[in-house]
This record gives sequence, structure tokens and C-alpha cells, in this order.
Amino acid sequence: MIVVLVILAVLVALATWIVRVAGWRFAVQRLGGALLILLLVTFITSFLLRFVGVDAEQKAALRELGVSENAQPCVSALGTGATVEAVNACVDERGLDENAFVQYWGWAKDVLRGDLGPAFYKSGDAEPLTGTIEQRMPRTAWLFLYSQIIALAIAVPLGIWSAYQAGRVPRPIPKIVYPIAVVALLAISVFAGWTLAAALLVGILVPTAVFHGLRGGPGGDTAVNLFAFVLLSVPAFVLGESLRFVFSVQRGWYPLTGYAPWSEGVGAHLKSVWLPALVLGLAATPVYLRLLRADMRQNLQQDFVAVAKAKGMSNTHILLRHVLRPSTVTLLTVAGLNIAQLVNGAIVVEFIYDFDGMGSYLLEAVARREFFAVQTLVALVAVVFVVANTIVDLLYTIVDPRVRAQAPA
Amino acid sequence: MTDIAPEAAIEAAGAAAADAPESRGVRGSGNWLFRFALGWLVLVAVVSALGELLPFVSDPNERDASAISQGPSWSHPFGTASFGQDVFSRVVVGGRISLFVGFMVTVIGIGLGGLLGLLAGYLRGWLDSIVRVIISVTLAIPALLLVIFIVAIRSQSLFTVIVAVSLLAIPALARIVRGATLQVADRDYVKAAQVLGVKKLTILRREVLPNVMPTLVSFAFLTFGIVLVAESSLSFLGLSVEAPTITWGSIIGEGRIKFNETPHMVFLPSAVLFLTVLSLNFVGDQLLKRFDIKEAGI
Repeated sequence: MIVVLVILAVLVALATWIVRVAGWRFAVQRLGGALLILLLVTFITSFLLRFVGVDAEQKAALRELGVSENAQPCVSALGTGATVEAVNACVDERGLDENAFVQYWGWAKDVLRGDLGPAFYKSGDAEPLTGTIEQRMPRTAWLFLYSQIIALAIAVPLGIWSAYQAGRVPRPIPKIVYPIAVVALLAISVFAGWTLAAALLVGILVPTAVFHGLRGGPGGDTAVNLFAFVLLSVPAFVLGESLRFVFSVQRGWYPLTGYAPWSEGVGAHLKSVWLPALVLGLAATPVYLRLLRADMRQNLQQDFVAVAKAKGMSNTHILLRHVLRPSTVTLLTVAGLNIAQLVNGAIVVEFIYDFDGMGSYLLEAVARREFFAVQTLVALVAVVFVVANTIVDLLYTIVDPRVRAQAPA
Repeated sequence: MTDIAPEAAIEAAGAAAADAPESRGVRGSGNWLFRFALGWLVLVAVVSALGELLPFVSDPNERDASAISQGPSWSHPFGTASFGQDVFSRVVVGGRISLFVGFMVTVIGIGLGGLLGLLAGYLRGWLDSIVRVIISVTLAIPALLLVIFIVAIRSQSLFTVIVAVSLLAIPALARIVRGATLQVADRDYVKAAQVLGVKKLTILRREVLPNVMPTLVSFAFLTFGIVLVAESSLSFLGLSVEAPTITWGSIIGEGRIKFNETPHMVFLPSAVLFLTVLSLNFVGDQLLKRFDIKEAGI
């Protein structure tokens, strides 16, 4: 509840600010657009529920039982042991016999009142979904936060470095050093009796990183690019499964004992989330890295860079203050859009690591055919996404005066 | 990138297109890698299409009690599964479904999404407004989540999976094609044709489409890769096409249950999936750079 209030407060503050700076029309346009999308998204998720797969035969069977032919979501949610009365009450409550708009309005009214329905219909005295969210949301939220920190910590320095090096002459280290280093390390790993995977990883990655890191130039840029490319092509579940095998099963560095909250100490908390956060972070890294790099390369060609250089500013200063700054806007936008991606990743990663967050709850709800809870959650995620992106959109106008100038006065 | 993120992932995959000319990716070695990637794709396509017809592929469901959960060997290059099935044959046959889903979604997405984007970007007006709203709405729903929801509601059939993933691919591609069309529509030769009084649809077909085509083809490869990952994630979670049907994701999902005994059941199919996605991304990326009109010299 507090979170909602904070978000609302931020939105209101931003809105008033935008109205002051860019005028009413602009604010109404942006916020109105967001509101329209919110309505459409929630309506569509509610509408989808009408398509729960039922053929004519099943409909007839439902009618024979004395319940509505649209009762399938209720029947699956309540389970086979449900009484006719319970199903009818559920159909009534959920408005399944009404038209789509009435059904939607019933749902929206409940949600706005803070009643999200039960998390699991089947489990006797149904626990409310709000309780499940309260319990599980912090875990997923921490996971998201850490993954973003990890992703940015890798992507930003690498992105800056590779954009910078792309236009530079490499340091005079002869190219032949690289193959020699690779062969040497591979030979060492063979004699040391490492496994094939470790030998390839260490024997190729380490010399590549060191050689191109020292040499710089377009070659270094290409190496970073390839790294991002490979990371971009690894499916999250493959990465998660592999890292779990290495760090949990073989090494025991990541305990699969479940989430430890902050109250159990910083160490225990971090230890219980670091691997899933790393997987999510590595999945997000190439997106940020590539966009930042491409954006910075474009900025580097701008006149203001030449001017700054002519004024005798240091390269570091130019890179960080003149080139990176406009690029943060792009980064911010992508981070906003990436929320959807994070949710997808969380579903997979929480499944792999038996992490009891929202993602694994969602999977469980789907497996148990709790369509109402899933529908509500899909809609809520969409709401969070739209709100977050509207905030980003508005921040955009603050960070970049050019956007404001385009607004109709 | 990982799952289906029609928007962010496609964008990231194509981000390099904005690069300056001199950084055309992996220049000298690019050609060599490009051929290698194409070769791998052709190999995967041909082998999974022929499937059991090939001499080295056996029945993927044939159980062999004498070879349970064995590591890779000459007779079973990818090892065997928990009932003694040959994992290599499973990967070959499973690839057929995975690739089929990827192919169908790409065709539907490029076909419908491309058409929508083209019309919206060139004709503008009310059609453009509608398309833009559709794009914004689908952007707001996490793709994998929505596909899981749809598949759970309908049924775990091939048809549903294809339709559900297509529903997300269409707006994502419409957005990209719309952007490309807007750029092309602004060019002088299009304006010249307009001034000459050529019919709008003729301009669209003869001037705009051929110039949007390269973007379409590049993104077809990138989309294919993303859909492949999406479908695999889905079947890894056990939510794609149902049990007896094998897909890459389901082989990996099956292997993870007994990870300690049969790591090869996870790692080898994963490697095939990874290489295929990498090749698709690489081919799409390179095509995007080659076709990029902005950068072409005389």
C-alpha cells in the first residue's frame, strides 16, 4: 500500500512539474495516453479469461451439471470436488455470465478496492492474493534490484570503454602475442588436467580479455561486442541451469536452501540471492551494453565533442560528462522497457533456483489452473510496467530539454 | 537476451546497426563467421527435416534398458536419457518442432506485422493511430507471462503455442517495420513518385517495400532466434506442446531433474540451442549491417 502511495506521490509531483514546464496539453497527452493503455491492457487480460478452452461437448456437460456453460474457469479453479452451489457462486462473483464489460468492471472495482481475490481457490480457507504478494514480492524486488546493479556494473564501464576504443589506434602490442597466449594457456590447462569446458573457458577467455584489454583499439571494441553477442544468445534457462550446476551442485557456493531476508543478516541475505541475481543481471547486460555503446558512438561524432576536445578537455572528462550524459537517457528508457523482460526472466530463474518469489508463484498458479489469480497478476504487472515507463517518459523530459521543446506549447 | 522480449531484445539485437561504418563488427573474420553461421543453420534445418531418414538417427522414443543415463559415446554421441533413449535422436527430432514453431511465428509475424507496419508507416492517419495503440498495449505485457497465460487457458497444443507467440511477434515487428517505413517514406525518390502522381499502393509496392525488405529479412532472422528461445523456455517450464512431443526445451527440462547423473542431457542440447540462436542472431546482425542504406558508400 505504501508503495502505491509513493508511486502516486511521485506521479503527481512529476505531473505538476511537467504542467509547469511543458504546459497542460503535453501533460494531458502523456498521462492520458498512459491511462488509455492501462485500461486497454487490463481489459484485454480480463477478456482473455472468456477463452478458456471449452468445446461444445464440455459446454453441454457443464449445463447438465446445472452450472453455467461459461463456468469453466471456476470449475478449474475450485477443482473437481466443488459443489454446484460453490461454482455458481463463483460464476456470479466473477461475472462470467455477464458481458465482457460488466465482467471487467466487476474485476476492476474489486482491484481498486484492494481486493485481489484468493491466491489459491482450492486450498480451503483461501489465502488472499494480497497476502501472497506481500510475502513474496520483496524477494522478487530485491532480485530485480541486484540484477540491475550487476547488469549496469558490467555494461556501463564496458560500454564506455568499447565505444571509446572503437575510434582509437591500438597500443603497439604485436598481434601474434594473442595466439601464443591462447595456445600457451590451453597447453597449461591440458597438463593441469582441467575439464574440457574449463580449459576452453580459461584458455580462450582470459587471454582474449587481457590481450584486448591492454591493446585497446577497434579489436578491443570487437571483443566486447562478441562478448555481448554471445551473452545475448544464451537463453536464460541455459545460463541459469549451467551456473546452478557449477556453483550449487559442484561447488556448493550457492545454497539452495531458499531466501533469507535482511533480518537474518546482510551476509545470509546476499548469499541467498546472488546467483539468481547474477543470472538475471547477465541476461540484461548485453541489452544495456550494446545500446550504450551504439549510442555513445553516435554521440562521439557530434560537434560538441570536437569542441570540447579543442578546448583541451581530457578524454575522461569528455567521455563521462559530455558523451555519457545524453546516453543515460537512452539507458533509462531501455531500463524501463526491460521491466517486462525482467518479469520473464524471473519466471524462469525462480523456477530453476526454487526461489519463492512472484515468478514461481505464477507458475504454480498456472499449474493449478488458478486463472483468476494469474489474470490479476498479469494485469498488475502490466500496470506497474505502464506506470514505470510513464515515469521514465516524464523523467526524459526533465533530463533532455530537446524533448520538451518538441512538445506542443 | 533471454526470453522473448519482442521489443527490448529485438532492439538490442539490432542496436549495432546504428554503429559507424568503420566498426562493421568483425570485419575480416566476419565473412568467415557469417558463412559458418549460415552453414550451421542449413545443417540444423536439413538434419532435423530429414530426421529418422538419416542413418545415424534412431527412433527417439526407443528405450534401451542396457544403456540408461549413459554419457556420450560413439554409439550415442549425446549420451542416453533416463530410459535409455538416444539423446542425439531426441535433439534431432525435437529440433523439428522447435524450428517449426520458430519458422511459423516468423512467417506470420513478418507477414502480418510487416504488412501492418508498412501500411501504418506509409499511409499514416487513423490506421497508424490504431497500430500505435496496439503496439503500446502489447509492449506493456511481459511476453512470456502472456504466452503462459494464453497457453494455460487454451491448451498446450502446437497451434496455441504458435498463435500465442505470434500475437506478440506481430506488434513487435509492426513497430520495427513501421519505423523503417517512416524513414524510407521520407526519401526523395518516394516524394518524386508522389509528385508524378503514381498511385499510393504502387509506390508502396515498387518504391517503399523493396527498400524496407532488407530490414524485414534481417529481423526475420533475429525474430526466429528470439522465438526459438521463447518456445524453448516455455517447454523447459513444461508449458509448451505436451509430453510425448519432444522439443529442445523439454529435453533440457527433462535432463535437469537428474542433473547430477546426466549433465550431458542438459549441456549438449543446450549447446545446440545456443549455437542455433547465436547463428540466427549473427546472420541477422550482419545482414542488417550489410543492408544498412545510411552507411553505404558509392
